[in-house]
Amino acid sequence: MVTLKIAFRNIFRQKRRSILTALAMIVGFTLSSVFIGWSDGAYSDIIEMFTKNRIGHIQVHQRGYLDKPSLYKTIDGYESTGETIGGIKGVAAWTPRVYSAGLGSVGAKSTAVQIIGIDAAREVDATRFDKKIIDGSKFSVQPVREAVLGKGLARVLAATVGGEIVLVSQGADGSIANELYEIAGIAESGDDITDRTACYLHIGDAQELLVLEGRCHEIVVIVSNINRVHKITKAIEAGLDDSRLDVAPWQVVAKAFYRAMQADKQGDAIGRIIIMLIVAIGVLNTVLMSVLERTSEYGVLRAVGTKPAQIFWLVICEVLIIALGSIAVGALLGASINHLLSIYGISMPQEFTYGGIKFQTMYAEVNARSLIIPAITVVLAAAVVSLFPALKAARILPARAMRAN
Amino acid sequence: MTNSDVIVTESITKVYAENGVPVEALRGVDLTIRSGEFTALVGPSGSGKTTLLNIISGLDAPTAGKVWLSGKLLSGMSGNDLSDFRRDNIGFIFQAYNLIPVLTVEENVEYIMLLQRVSKAERHRRVAAMLEEVGLKGYANRNPPQLSGGQQQRVAIARAMVSEPAIILADEPTANLDSKTGSDLLEMMNRLNTQTSMTFLFSTHDPMVMERARRLITLKDGKVESDESK
Repeated sequence: MVTLKIAFRNIFRQKRRSILTALAMIVGFTLSSVFIGWSDGAYSDIIEMFTKNRIGHIQVHQRGYLDKPSLYKTIDGYESTGETIGGIKGVAAWTPRVYSAGLGSVGAKSTAVQIIGIDAAREVDATRFDKKIIDGSKFSVQPVREAVLGKGLARVLAATVGGEIVLVSQGADGSIANELYEIAGIAESGDDITDRTACYLHIGDAQELLVLEGRCHEIVVIVSNINRVHKITKAIEAGLDDSRLDVAPWQVVAKAFYRAMQADKQGDAIGRIIIMLIVAIGVLNTVLMSVLERTSEYGVLRAVGTKPAQIFWLVICEVLIIALGSIAVGALLGASINHLLSIYGISMPQEFTYGGIKFQTMYAEVNARSLIIPAITVVLAAAVVSLFPALKAARILPARAMRAN
Repeated sequence: MTNSDVIVTESITKVYAENGVPVEALRGVDLTIRSGEFTALVGPSGSGKTTLLNIISGLDAPTAGKVWLSGKLLSGMSGNDLSDFRRDNIGFIFQAYNLIPVLTVEENVEYIMLLQRVSKAERHRRVAAMLEEVGLKGYANRNPPQLSGGQQQRVAIARAMVSEPAIILADEPTANLDSKTGSDLLEMMNRLNTQTSMTFLFSTHDPMVMERARRLITLKDGKVESDESK
């Protein structure tokens, strides 16, 4: 207790030095907090766009489809599978999809297309498909042989709304599949790669074209809380209890994207380490100076019976008290800045693309991570850098130390 | 060694290496001080007074020789054991007072008892009595920088004596004080020595201290030159 009392009063004794030490910690904490809040906010936006616009949070396929997609690997009776999934707690929406490769022709122009059969009503609930239509009318809920083309595909085929597209593919029964569709709209998903080949059909039309009645290749699931995606994946697996089906969270569905993001995050950690190293060096310098100036005082404390360990804790306590105060101020600053950035964001001078998705404005996020990680880092950095001065003070030879007065 | 011998040194030598050159500060000092003595270690500067005091208190280690305090051999004690031993057996009075600047007068006097885990009520009782004894009643909540040199040295005396150690070691306690204050303090220490069984050992070259000491040990060039009892 007396150690704490002396430590606390020593902080106010050397106000200027304590303020300098605290400033180094506050700046380090705030920078680190904003760094984390900013990158977490950006990654959350990217994940949100990537999953909700495109792949969903969880996907269900026939076993092996993800590794080697095939027209024949279908989910039979998907409606009942979907209904089971929809009844699981945490599932916000589900939608079936049919995929096939094909050839699309508009007039004299032809190109490879990806035929994507979607349930228009469910797709709106799940992936806000209606928001992607940038030209033309809304996709019909009933199959009326309409197609919506990706923006890039429309450009390649010089297709316009109201025109027609001929699709040629292969039916699941081995027949040649070909049909004429009216172009009802042009869609922009924010993903250039998809938009260059995507040709959306009503799922009923796609099933008829590909001879896949009552079947789909994929069920996309949207959950209400993305942080619970793994738990909900397990719940779906348990709920379906079907060994012929694979249930995979987005991290498995988009492995490459997920790994790239993790690698980026590791890069961010290096940035944080550099910030904290600068802070640590600043703190080490002030603590060393303080110990050096008080050598004689430590000598007196040792002379009157204070144990080396008590001197050690005295130095550590002083630094930790400053660290705790700095964390409180830094948390207030960091959370405030992150809050402002989460509302107003920062517009990039140029639009950039991540995972094929375009971004213009980046928003931060206020979360526990952006406060806990800097707090742990500041406390650890302060404790580690004060170890050496604390040991130096504890190992002081009283007689020699008092001569330093 | 008898039961009444509180400080015994045997062939103490201390060699410092000054810029790589060995300097002999003490050269075989044999000393025996009995309980309740009021002794002054005298001698010119560099004679080894402070070095001997530091070695006796375990603040410094001798190059050779042995020290017994209250029958305990200091050499071989660990850092923690030495701290505990000093805390419980030795009171220090320094030339520069060496109070803890961030603690009040009361807290400075109380500090050693806090280390000893004396109960709060007992600490307060003893601190109040001690401050009254040294004439600082009413100064309990002052900080050391608010006190004069004489008052600070009184606090140091109170701190040294409050836990009733067997030995009080005072290194030039009057050197920074004017003669009137120094004389008053010496009178006070003399009185406390008479009232208690505490043993006082001073290092000094102040004639006032020599005058009041009942035993004078003179050091010269690191050796005991004379040892006179009055």
